[in-house]
Amino acid sequence: MPHPQSSWPFERPEQLADLLREQGATPEERADLLPALRRLSEWQAPQPEPADTRRLLARLATELPAPSPVRQAIREHQQRTGIFWLLATARAQVSLFGPAFWLVSALVTLVGAVVVLSKVLPDQELVLRASGPLLAYLGTIVAFRGPGLRVLELELVCLPSPLQLALARLVIVLGYDVGLGLALSLALWASGTGQVLALTLAWLMPLLLVAGLALLLSLRLSVQAAASLAYGSWLAVLAIGTTSNLQTFLLAPALSVLPGCIGLALLVIALLRLQTGMHRLLPHP
Amino acid sequence: MAAVMAGDQVAFAALVTRHHGPLLGYLYRLVGGDRQLSEDLVQEALLHVLRQRTYQADRPFKPWLYMIATNLARDYFKSAEVRQCWQRGDAEETLLHLYDSAAGPEERALAAEQGNEVRAALAQLREEYRVVVVLRFYQGFSLQEIAETLHIPLGTVKSRLSVGVHCLRSALAPVQKGVD
Repeated sequence: MPHPQSSWPFERPEQLADLLREQGATPEERADLLPALRRLSEWQAPQPEPADTRRLLARLATELPAPSPVRQAIREHQQRTGIFWLLATARAQVSLFGPAFWLVSALVTLVGAVVVLSKVLPDQELVLRASGPLLAYLGTIVAFRGPGLRVLELELVCLPSPLQLALARLVIVLGYDVGLGLALSLALWASGTGQVLALTLAWLMPLLLVAGLALLLSLRLSVQAAASLAYGSWLAVLAIGTTSNLQTFLLAPALSVLPGCIGLALLVIALLRLQTGMHRLLPHP
Repeated sequence: MAAVMAGDQVAFAALVTRHHGPLLGYLYRLVGGDRQLSEDLVQEALLHVLRQRTYQADRPFKPWLYMIATNLARDYFKSAEVRQCWQRGDAEETLLHLYDSAAGPEERALAAEQGNEVRAALAQLREEYRVVVVLRFYQGFSLQEIAETLHIPLGTVKSRLSVGVHCLRSALAPVQKGVD
């Protein structure tokens, strides 16, 4: 069966002379050798048909390394653009939070609402000030896992940057917490409780403070230690404030927004430092 | 190549499509015009590409691919000495037949058209000279690429080319005179 022939790589005759010159042949040698070299074009090699190449590909395909599930996921992610990319990133990040996180957070809010509505304690704001930051504690531990889990390296090489991932998780956690806060406000409003705004702020502002402090501390400490230290510090402030004369200063209604502002500032600082301090978070051998 | 090693089928198809023809031509001429053998060697070379772990991403792919192909052809000749002897005998027989004064001008012209004389002349070259001649004059490799492919100094490439080309001229000269 005849096969198509390969083309001769030299279109111009002088190209052969150039090759001989390059490899050090004298003009006399070139003149002597060129006729023989020109004759090389007489022997053509067969060229494979497209069907031959397809058959070869089919035989070799079984030996092609199988891409890992991680790489496949990254490739699928790369194919998305714009809003679909954002949605895919958000969906992937939401999947990190198990059902326990959503349920426990809602339960903590519900317990806080029930205690406030039942008025079993004289200081209703204190209950909310203590229970609100507990959500920040839970969110920090779930969203910002420590290097001990050996997933940080994977996150460092994935498409969204660590900063984008941190932002996405913060938006998820705080968005959910704010949503719970709105539900709490509605419950308080529906039950006819006065000072709905003050109670909601008493719940939300310390939450932001503890979230910001925990994230900032997690850049230096383990996530567990950072979240515990942040929440513990807030509980200590609460304890000091309620048992001493400092209550009028630390927990004054006029300053109820202050913890939230400090918390937001700490979150911004933590996110900025996250980018530069990422190397410290890598697991060390 | 990095994409191929990561299992990218599109990159792999592009790589094979780009190199299939030139590689087949190279091996076909190296093994003396045996189409089936050269196709087997092409497949084996590409399998080596997929299975190996020695490729360095910062180095050019083509010399590395042809190094594998050349080594496979060499291994074949080492393991099939009888066949090599047969081929050498076949080539000599072809040349003797062509130089035979009894062969008429028409027969010589037909043989030239089919490339038999050149095939026989190349088959007569020692393997080390045949490789550099085929890489240089059929594959269009630069001297540096040949050096990288064969892991030999540039000076050695030039000297082998010089010897190979002179041998080729000697092998083809009687026929040239006859045809002229």
